[in-house]
This record gives sequence, C-alpha cells and structure tokens, in this order.
Amino acid sequence: MKNYDIHQHVQGKSIFIDDMRLPAGTLHAEIFTSNIAHGIITSIDTSAALASKGVVDIFSASDIPGENQVGGMIKDESLFAESEVHYVGQPILLVVAESKLEARKALSKIKIEYDKLKPILNPREAFIKGSLIAPPVTFELGNISAVWDECDFIEEGTVESGGQEHLYLETQAAAAIPHEGEKIKVYSSTQAPTATQRVVAGILGIPMNKVEVDVLRLGGGFGGKEDQASPFAAMAALAANKLNKPVKLVLNRQDDIRITGKRHPYSSDFKIGFSHEGKILAYEVKFFQNAGAAADLSMAVLERTLFHCTNSYFIPNVKATGISCKTNVPPNTAFRGFGGPQAMFVIESAIKKISEKLDVPAYMIQQKNLLREGDEFPYGQRAENCNAKKSWNEALSKFKYEERLQSINQFNLENKFLKKGIAVMPICFGISFTSTFMNQASALVHIYTDGSIGISTAAVEMGQGVNTKIRQIAAKIFSVDISIVKIESTNTTRNANSSPTAASSGADLNGKATELACLNIKERLLNSAKEILNADLSEIKIENGSIFVNEEKKLDWEELISKSFLKRVNLSSHAYYATPKIYFDKSKSKGNAFAYHVYGTAVVETTLDCLRGTYKINSVKAVHDFGESFSKTIDLGQAEGAIIQGIGWMTMEEICHDLNGRLLSNALSTYKIPDIHFTPDEFEVHFLEGAKNPMGIFNSKAIGEPPFMYGIGAYFAILDSMKAHNKNLDYDFKAPMTPERVLLTLSKNIKTKIHK
Amino acid sequence: MQMIAIEFNLNGILVKAEVNPGVRLIDFLRDEYGLTGTKEGCGIGECGACTIILDGKAVNSCLILACQIDGKEILTIEGLANSGELHRLQENFLKKGAVQCGFCTPGMIISAYSLLLLNPNPAEQEIREAIAGNLCRCTGYKQIISAIEESIVVNIEND
Ligand code: FES
Ligand code: FES
Repeated sequence: MKNYDIHQHVQGKSIFIDDMRLPAGTLHAEIFTSNIAHGIITSIDTSAALASKGVVDIFSASDIPGENQVGGMIKDESLFAESEVHYVGQPILLVVAESKLEARKALSKIKIEYDKLKPILNPREAFIKGSLIAPPVTFELGNISAVWDECDFIEEGTVESGGQEHLYLETQAAAAIPHEGEKIKVYSSTQAPTATQRVVAGILGIPMNKVEVDVLRLGGGFGGKEDQASPFAAMAALAANKLNKPVKLVLNRQDDIRITGKRHPYSSDFKIGFSHEGKILAYEVKFFQNAGAAADLSMAVLERTLFHCTNSYFIPNVKATGISCKTNVPPNTAFRGFGGPQAMFVIESAIKKISEKLDVPAYMIQQKNLLREGDEFPYGQRAENCNAKKSWNEALSKFKYEERLQSINQFNLENKFLKKGIAVMPICFGISFTSTFMNQASALVHIYTDGSIGISTAAVEMGQGVNTKIRQIAAKIFSVDISIVKIESTNTTRNANSSPTAASSGADLNGKATELACLNIKERLLNSAKEILNADLSEIKIENGSIFVNEEKKLDWEELISKSFLKRVNLSSHAYYATPKIYFDKSKSKGNAFAYHVYGTAVVETTLDCLRGTYKINSVKAVHDFGESFSKTIDLGQAEGAIIQGIGWMTMEEICHDLNGRLLSNALSTYKIPDIHFTPDEFEVHFLEGAKNPMGIFNSKAIGEPPFMYGIGAYFAILDSMKAHNKNLDYDFKAPMTPERVLLTLSKNIKTKIHK
Repeated sequence: MQMIAIEFNLNGILVKAEVNPGVRLIDFLRDEYGLTGTKEGCGIGECGACTIILDGKAVNSCLILACQIDGKEILTIEGLANSGELHRLQENFLKKGAVQCGFCTPGMIISAYSLLLLNPNPAEQEIREAIAGNLCRCTGYKQIISAIEESIVVNIEND
C-alpha cells in the first residue's frame, strides 16, 4: 500500500500552504529579525518602512493583545523581542504589505540600533557561567562509584556532535483568515495543531474555541514543525486579527534556516569501565546540550538522550547526567531521534575506545554487551521481546560480515591511498512520548449515507504515510475497498487537545483510535444487519463490501448503510486511545516509559580517498525490526529516508557560526544535505522476521525515527577507513566527519610523523 | 515599471502576457497561471523543486525571469499527464514508492522527464547525474532511481 496523497503529488496538484487560493486582498507578511546574537535594542525606526509602497502595517511586541509568549514547556520565549535580543534571527517586527515583494523591500528600510552584549555560543561556556535552561537531570542504575575499582580498565573521552538543519523542503508557512465573532482560522504547516491553536489563542488573548487550526499536509517536518511552526501561525493570526484581512506568511529558505532552531549540538564527557574480555561494567556520561536561547523542547530532548544513553547494550552500572545549556543561538528543537542519536554516538565512541584499548574489533565489544531479554535499562524498565541479538545475528550472517571484513582487509593491503572501512550499528529506540500524558489520540469516523467513509484524526500527514495507514486500518476493519475511505485535514475543531504528530507515534496512537471508532460503528452495523436480515449475529459477515448470511450474499455495503440510516443507527463514532501500562516518575527518573522498543542492526561500508579526504558510502544494509509491517512500501521508504538523513548528520551536514553567532551555513549553497549521488550503491533494509508487536497497531512497530541512528555507523566506518590508513591515528570523536575534517585529521597525523 | 509583452507556449497552449521585467518565472507561473505544482524550495538554484522544461531542457524556474521565455516552450508538471492519463514516470513514481511528502516530486519528475527526452536509455550513473540537482529530504533516493529505471524499460517495450 502506498502513500495516499501521492496521486496528487505526481501531478503537481497537492496543495501546500503557499499554493492555497486565498481570498482576494490577502496580505503578505515578512519578519524583521535581530542581526546580532545578544544585545539590547536602543532604538527602532520604522517610519521609512511604513511609508514604503504597499506596506499596510508593522507589528511589534506592543501590538500583542494577549501575552507575548510562545514557550511550551517553559514560558521563556517571546513572539517578538521586547528590548533584549538573544540570537541572530530572533523576530522583532512583522511587516505586512500588499505583496511579498513590497514587504520584503520595506524590511531593508527599518533602522535599528543595539547595545551589543557578548554572546555565549558554546554549551560548556554556558555551563560555567551558570546559563542553564533547567537544573541538570540524572539517570542512575546500579552503583557506579562502587564498581570502578573492579574494572580492569577505565577509559575516558570527549565527544562532540553538531547540529542539523531540518531542511523540510516546504518552509515554515501559515495563512490566517479572520471570521465573524473574533474567530480566526489558521492554516499552518504544523505538526502540532493543538499547540499552534494554544499559542495563537495566547497571543491574541482569546479562548482556544475561537481559534481553528487546519492542516492539510506538510512538505516534511522531521520535528522542525513540532514546536516551531506555532510562532509563524501566531504572527499571521496577529496581523489578520488586527487588520481584519487574510494574511499569509511563508518563509523563504534563508529566513527559515536563520530563524528556526535545529538539532541540538552536544558536547559530552564519558568514562567507561570494562573487563579484560570487553564486558562493560560501568558507564558515566555527562551531556552538555546546546539548547539555544530558550527552552523550546530541550528538556524533553535531553531526557530522551538519557533514556538512550546505553543504546542497545546492557550496562549494569550507569550514571548519566544531562545539562541543558542556554546559549545565544536560535532555540534548538525536536529533530528525528529527539536526543537519542546524540546519546548513541557517545556510547559508540566509548566502545570504539574500548576496542582500541583491548585491540579487538569494535563489533566484538558491541556483540558482547548486547541487551538480552529482561535486562534493565537505566530508567528501570526491562527489555521485553528484545530483538537486539536477533537482529544482530541475522545482520551479521545475512551480510556475511566476517567475509566482508576479510575482503576489506585484502583491499586495504592492495591499495595505498584508497581505504575501505566497515562498522556495525545496532539500535534500540523506545516508542512513546516520554511525557506520559502525551500518549493519547482521537479519531472521528463518519460513514455517509452513500457508504463512503470520512475520517479525521489528530495525525498530521507530512510524507510519512500516516493517512494511508489510517485508511488501510478502516478499510480492513469494515472490509471495504480502500477507495471509499477518505482522510480529512487535521483540524482542531474535529479532534481537540491532540498531541503533536511526533515521537514516531502518529500511526500507533491515531491508528488505534481509528480502530476503536471503526469497531464501534461496525458493531452497530452488525446489529443493524441482524435486524434487517432477521438473522443471528453469528451468521452475519461483512466482507469485501458485501453482507453475507451463512456465506450467502444478502446486501451491498451501500444498502446496509442506507437501510441502517433509516433505522436511525448512529453511523459516526469519535473514539479515544491512550497507551496503556506506561508511566514515568520524573522525580526518581524511573518507570515503564515506553510501550515497546524498536531494534535493528546495520552494517555500513565506506571507501576513503586518503589524499583528498573524500569518501563514498558504498553499502548500507540493515535488518530492522518493523514489527509486522502492514504498509511495507511506506515503512521501507521511511527507513531509507531516515538512514540517509542520519548519515547526512554524521558526515556532510555542518552548521557553522562565526564568532559573533552569525550563521554562516544559511542557505542551500552553504549547507549541504545528501543528494542522489550520496545514496549507497548497495542499500538494503530487511524486515526482521517474527517480530510481532502486540502493543502496536496490527502488531506493527513505529518507524519514523529509529532507523535514523543507523547513520552513526557511517561515522565509524569512515573512521575505520582512516585507521586503515594510519593504525595509530590521533583523532577526536567529532561529528560531522566532513571531508575537511578527515583531511585535517589525516594530515595532522602526517606532520607528527615528519617531526619525529 | 515598463511591462514587457511576451508570447510563449505553456503546456501546449499559446499564451500572451505582459510581465514586469523583475518577475521570476516561478512566481509568474504560480501567481498568474495557478501552476503551483512548481515549488520553491530554496530560491537559489540548489534544490530543483522549481524545475520546469524550457524548450526541451530542464531548468530552475527560480533562476529565470519571466520575460526571458518570450517565444519559447514551457512544460510544467501540470502539463505532463496526457488528458488525464498519467505519464509513465508519474505512474512509476507512484508504483515504486518514490514519493513521500511530495514537495520535491514535481521537480524530480520533470528532471527525469527531461533526461528521458535527451537520453531514452540512461544508465544508473546517468540517472544520478540528471537528478543530482533535485534534493529530496524524505526518501533515500533509492525508489526514485528505480522509478526512473522502470520508466526506461516501458519505453523500450513501447518502441
Ligand atoms: S527553488 Fe529553484 S532550485 Fe530551489
Ligand atoms: S518527498 Fe519530501 S522532499 Fe522528497
């Protein structure tokens, strides 16, 4: 089954916000932002901009009727800066004009002056200066201080991972249309319609029932539109509300990259204790998270870092501390993996250190420490239906790991400057929002009198195929052709108080709610058929759009529906689903935080040109735990896309600032994401067999995020290539491993050789 | 500003228009003709979401001015299907799962179409070359390659 929207997509007919036919007279907005990283605004002069052709109005913090606040977890972020600015790109004013071009032209006529303050750009510097978002959080298992003495070896190290720009192809966008009675309808490219509704209501100072948020689809989200779509919706709504005219705000790419937050960069310290045999006994890790200038979702992201600090390994004694540091860059935010990838990169680096110390290949250390059934995670949950070893064994045998190692060694013996490398990357990722209350969803199912079906859920379609999955669920339960099932836009008046479509949970939560709603109606229909056909319930079956009594066809689906309607049977259902059995006690950092875990193992191979520093990812092969996938094309597409994005984060995607906190990689010319050349020649994702998951919809597992972390394997494969060139390579654990970094590292080592 | 009169062929239909010399082709197509299948992903010629066919060749419509198309032939994604029947590339993009969020898809298909116009039987490496200017943030490109490859086979059979 394929993605539902795509028939429109291939013809260019799908409507994104910028494509909407808005009423004549719609105005266009552009954002005026800070161009310094930290300072106090001393004067703003908008007179020339206001007089500029086509300009209708300019809005600032003082025009906000409600509260100038967009912070979700902590109320620490204003929509428009009032006096102090905290990062380059922070919104200060909104210019509204008759056309986009006129609004754009007016921006350059605004005069602003600041008293500059020194920005903090580095999380460790922020920590030293006490600039934190929230107090540090610690997860502990066993007794770390008691076991250091029992370890044969202890290694320590520092690991740095960089940020990542979401680069959803559709930039942030919103259109707001005023309605009677101070009501406002907002079309937003948001993953979180309810959060957007709340922020808009707060800014306008009106109750949530006067704000309707509607989302048709997103041109990609990846977490970047979970918390950060709302401010743009609020800006459009503010202007529309004041001017009583529709207002559209679509960011251009440079503004989007400059204004919005990214994946959190981390700087981490680890200490790892292990035995002669490579068994890990103790692991202490401290994560310094670069949160940017406001909380956004940083604490939740940091928490997931702690949840996944041991990846798919069992370590009996763990102490993991996370510190969310406040700096002068845009507030960093959710991004596929949500802090998990950063944690896994650190433990994999620590394992690499162990392997170097013991002089055995890293995969042997990984293998020795894999999670087994019943093992305890640092947060107290135990591994159930654990597929860590299963996927590992299957991957290594299927991909003939040992043989490939040998052929790689042979290749490296025969080639002086081209070196191959290989790495295995296992993953274990927990599924559920770690804030337990967010694990809820609702679905509204209508069967119309002609038999066609319309479904509204809280899920937002952003390319992940959730709408197709929901259609499949309904079609399967009613046993009707999928073509009669339609998914409506995601709208806060149909599904209220919804959680964002995030944490890979969209299909699980909304699929389960849809299942419940469909089952409710189906039960009524069966009872109705019983009366209409004067038969016993046990004899009636609905199958392939027909109603049978004892295998004899009696009615069409359409007949059953129209007859049931005349009998006054309720053909609609609104159902609600909350994930059972999960809880997490934040005060103790313990609990059954996840409904289940997703496992898998990937093998990555690279070839490095040691003279140029350029590399090729030759092969990525994974055995992934999809549960029992009921949408194989969609799930495979998700896995492949996630892997490429993960490799991008680890290798080529580099966010650069200058010393004043100005973003240098602010356009697609300077920030590079994987293109088609980047796709490995061998790229295979296999379905792990026998991985039934009773906690997921139709026994499937969530797919959005977990495969992202296979990308970490690319880093270690390239490192392996580098070490094939120089066994005693002196290097830092620092990602992304750009060709420049490869070359600098290799050449640094050559110099030391010459000096000696 | 002095408007410029132009005449061009748009998806098979001859049209006349007056354009502001500063207007980009992408905006002209989207705003004047409602051809919103042509998307803006970057505005600087790096993402390929705005790809259209200009006189038989794929170009980035964000880098061209509307007034430059005088006397030329334009094909956008909306003009690819033949009276409701999808082009085989469109069919294969559907069939192979080459589409996720869909934002890159029109540009991707147009680039592939242009490739097949110039080179009906491209090797995988040639496909990669032709699509290298089209970024997709959702897929791993694998299904895109196979959708294009699949379209070649069909072509040969038809010949
Ligand atoms: S919008 Fe034209 S290439 Fe990106
Ligand atoms: S399908 Fe989303 S960018 Fe390609």
